[in-house]
Amino acid sequence: MRQLADLPLRVLWNAFFWTYERATWQYDIMVIAILAFIWLTPPVWLNDPMATGYGPIGWIVDRLGL
Amino acid sequence: MTVTGLIGSLCMFPLRLIISACVRLRIHPNILTFVGVLINVAAAWALGLGKFVTAGVIMIIANIFDFIDGKVAVELNEVSAFGGFWDSVIDRFSDISLFIGLIFLYSTLDRTDYVMIAALAMMFAIMTSYTRARAESLIKKCKVGFMERPERIVLFMIGAFTNRMAAVLWVILILSIFTVADRIIYTYRELRETREREALA
Repeated sequence: MRQLADLPLRVLWNAFFWTYERATWQYDIMVIAILAFIWLTPPVWLNDPMATGYGPIGWIVDRLGL
Repeated sequence: MTVTGLIGSLCMFPLRLIISACVRLRIHPNILTFVGVLINVAAAWALGLGKFVTAGVIMIIANIFDFIDGKVAVELNEVSAFGGFWDSVIDRFSDISLFIGLIFLYSTLDRTDYVMIAALAMMFAIMTSYTRARAESLIKKCKVGFMERPERIVLFMIGAFTNRMAAVLWVILILSIFTVADRIIYTYRELRETREREALA
C-alpha cells in the first residue's frame, strides 16, 4: 500500500532525474508527455507572443462553455 | 520496438543515403560541421524575423549536416581528437545562435518575460553540455538527464513547425535545469564513492 502511495513521487523523481536511454518505453512516455504539454496547453495560458488560437484544450473548454 | 526507436530508424534511411553521398564525394567531416553552423545561423535569422516555418525547414537541413559529420568521419577513417573538439565547440555556437534568434524576436515584440525565458533556457542548455564535459574530466561517464542536444533540436523544430515556441521554451528551460542538477548530483555521488573506495583500500 505504501509502495502504491509512493508511486507518483517515484514517477516524478525518475522523470526529472532521468537515467534511461533513448528508444526505451520510458523515453516514449516522456516524449508523449512533452508533446501533450506543447500541443494541448492553450497558448494564452503561457502568454505565447506568437501563437494564435486556444489550442485543443481551449477549444474543448470553449465548447463546454466553462 | 518503441515509437521513438521506429521514428529514429525511419529517419536513418534517407540519412544513410546522404552519408554515403558525402563519403563518395570525400567531403571532410570538419567542413560538414562548419557548414552546419552556418545554416543554423540562417535558421536563427529566420527565427529572429518570426518566420518559424522557414526556420524549421532550415533547421532540418542544418541538423542533417550536424548529424552526419561524425558518421562520415568514421566511414572516411578521419576520426580525430580535434574533430570531436571542433564538433562540440561548433555545436555550442549552433545552440546559442538559435536562442539569440528567439531573444531578438521577443525583444522586438517588447516581451521581456520571454526574453528572460529564452535567455535562461540558453544558459541551462549550455550548462547541460558544460556539466557533462567537466564531469567526464573527473569521472568515466556522466550521461544522465533528459534534455540533451538532440532533444533540444527536435523540440525547436516542433515549436517552429507548429508555432508553439513558447511552450517549447518552457519545456527546454525546466528540463535543462533538472538535467544540470542531475549531472551535478551524479558527479558528486560518483566522486564520493570513489573517495570512499580509495579510503577502504
